[in-house]
Amino acid sequence: MTRPVTLHVLQGYHSPEMTDAACVQAALAGDGAAFTMLVDRHSPACLRFARRMLGSREDAEDAAQEAFVRAHRALARYDGRTSFRTWLMSILVNRCRTALLQRHRRTKRLVLDEAVLDQAAAVGGDGSDLELRDAIERALAQLEPGQREAFLLKHVEQLTYEEMAEATGAGVSALKMRVQRACDRLQILLKEDRYA
Amino acid sequence: MPDDGRDQIPPALARAVELLREEEVASPAWRAAVLGAVEQGSGSRDADLRPRRFVALRTAIAAGIVCVAAGSAATFAVLRRPGPIETVATAPHNAAQASTLLPVHFSVVAPSAASVSIVGDFNHWSPTALPMKRSADGRTWEIDVKLPEGRYNYAYMVDGQIARDPSAPQTGGDDFGMPNSVLMVRGT
Repeated sequence: MTRPVTLHVLQGYHSPEMTDAACVQAALAGDGAAFTMLVDRHSPACLRFARRMLGSREDAEDAAQEAFVRAHRALARYDGRTSFRTWLMSILVNRCRTALLQRHRRTKRLVLDEAVLDQAAAVGGDGSDLELRDAIERALAQLEPGQREAFLLKHVEQLTYEEMAEATGAGVSALKMRVQRACDRLQILLKEDRYA
Repeated sequence: MPDDGRDQIPPALARAVELLREEEVASPAWRAAVLGAVEQGSGSRDADLRPRRFVALRTAIAAGIVCVAAGSAATFAVLRRPGPIETVATAPHNAAQASTLLPVHFSVVAPSAASVSIVGDFNHWSPTALPMKRSADGRTWEIDVKLPEGRYNYAYMVDGQIARDPSAPQTGGDDFGMPNSVLMVRGT
């Protein structure tokens, strides 16, 4: 005799393979765990971009948090035309621009916080990596914000130019030019720092 | 459109880019804060993203001062347009007589905002220096400030977002595509 089996659906559980689009649909239907999954999935990249863009862990956390809150509020407007990541990145790009605007007005300069070196030490690597990480962070901070933004989206976040255009509102040609100029400038700055 | 050869990372930057690609780990405290903020705002999805509305402060103050000089009431709301957020600037009876600091009352109707502050040249654009208080009606955010005569770039921080008056008679410098408004404070 076969024993009856009762299937219990674990509320709030989602397979790790659940796509971003499916998470969005579930979140729109009121499933908070689905949006939590999106936060967990995209937080590292969002914090990375914001940190590299703003040069401060604290500012990066503020910008990324605000981006997620705004993404949640505007979730119904996400139409799936681009990837969720690109859509989220477009919100984060704007949050970083706003943060830079506020900082520009307050201090007129970028500040690299001490946590940059602290974390560099925490993630390991030999001494030359620590110095190179410090050098590239300082070089990034000296780039014009538009060039820094384009460089990070292209070579660190590895978006395509079409995705970058969606995220920034700039044209592909202009973005290619910014990336090129950023690369040229970074090489000069690292060379001056004896790292290129 | 396929990416062209310029997409290649220059060899001199290859190692540096590898280091930049290292992910930032989200701390549990930050994750909890994000999820808490999302939960807090879940009841206002998209409703909070309605277009904002302001009233031109310079014109409001100028009108207030003129009317004070004529012996009229001291509170004015001008240049109103339909929308969920509006700003009203008022000048008290003695505004015209103030020699150094002119009191200005700011009132912003933003019922779904969690926080509103005013930022400008007068407070070094600090988002925390002049927080506005929600009034008894639950919809309006208010603050009284005293400003010397002069010209000020200003804007509002509504839930961390800089917002300006799109119809202000003057706009200030344009930083990252986000121009701010200009307020003129005059005694007479």
